[in-house]
Amino acid sequence: MFGIFKPRTFFNLANTSIFWLKIIFAFALVVGLILSLVFSPTDYLQKDSVRIMYVHVPSSWISLFIFLIIGISSFISLIFKVRVFSVYAKSLAPIGLVFSLISIVTGSLWGYPTWGTFWSWDGRLTSMFVLVLTYILYVSLWSFIKNYNSAEKITNIVGIIGLINIPIIKFSVAWWNTLHQPASITLTAAPTIHSSMLAPLLIMFFSFCILSLIIFLIRYKYEIINFRVNKK
Amino acid sequence: MISNFLNMGGYGLYIWLSYAFAALSLTSLYYFSVKKLNSIKNIEYLYQSEKIEEVSVSAQANRS
Repeated sequence: MFGIFKPRTFFNLANTSIFWLKIIFAFALVVGLILSLVFSPTDYLQKDSVRIMYVHVPSSWISLFIFLIIGISSFISLIFKVRVFSVYAKSLAPIGLVFSLISIVTGSLWGYPTWGTFWSWDGRLTSMFVLVLTYILYVSLWSFIKNYNSAEKITNIVGIIGLINIPIIKFSVAWWNTLHQPASITLTAAPTIHSSMLAPLLIMFFSFCILSLIIFLIRYKYEIINFRVNKK
Repeated sequence: MISNFLNMGGYGLYIWLSYAFAALSLTSLYYFSVKKLNSIKNIEYLYQSEKIEEVSVSAQANRS
């Protein structure tokens, strides 16, 4: 059932594709930055501060998506005993942590000129803060628990429990009064954002996805070798 | 013209701080990931010399 996720698949991918992924990332990043900082129009209300969106939104999406993968991987590892999924989750966690921190920091820097405050304990911001704490807990447990099997079991549980927060973050802007604006892009409806802003946003998102993949492959390679050596 | 671009209509400080923080964080993450991998490059052959599938299989056997 999980044959496609064999360790060798990603190990070979890491050996053969990182160079080309770096080229694609560099190209997408340059195009994305030029569109974001030069060609995208200013917002009629937020003026130029809207350009922070091109870093903030992709970072938020990736941090949520990575935790979703961590949660699902933890579930598969714990229930189906396919331990390579723990290695996937462990390799992804620091990437998700960094993107969630970028999301929080850039959100605060965007919030000050638009809301008049860096921070507010409302639904969206608080649930994102909880996500950062969950990431920190997950990464710390892997670092501090020396016994691999214990660390794996505990982090799997943290990963599964942390999944509860993902829909809370997603729907927080609908469930509670919040300073944060509702989503402009959803999977079920046409985006309410103009194409001149949507294009740089999607290109920046694409470049961040490629960078995440590159870093994941590097970290995965380390973790799988480490896993093998520890087992010897 | 350059100062206008850097000023970004008065929001330059927030915009450049955001981009700088993202760039710094992601560069650090990449750098430390590569450094970590390079630290065990000398034992990579241990992994590549044998069947990699053994990792998941033996690991599963350990647990069950």
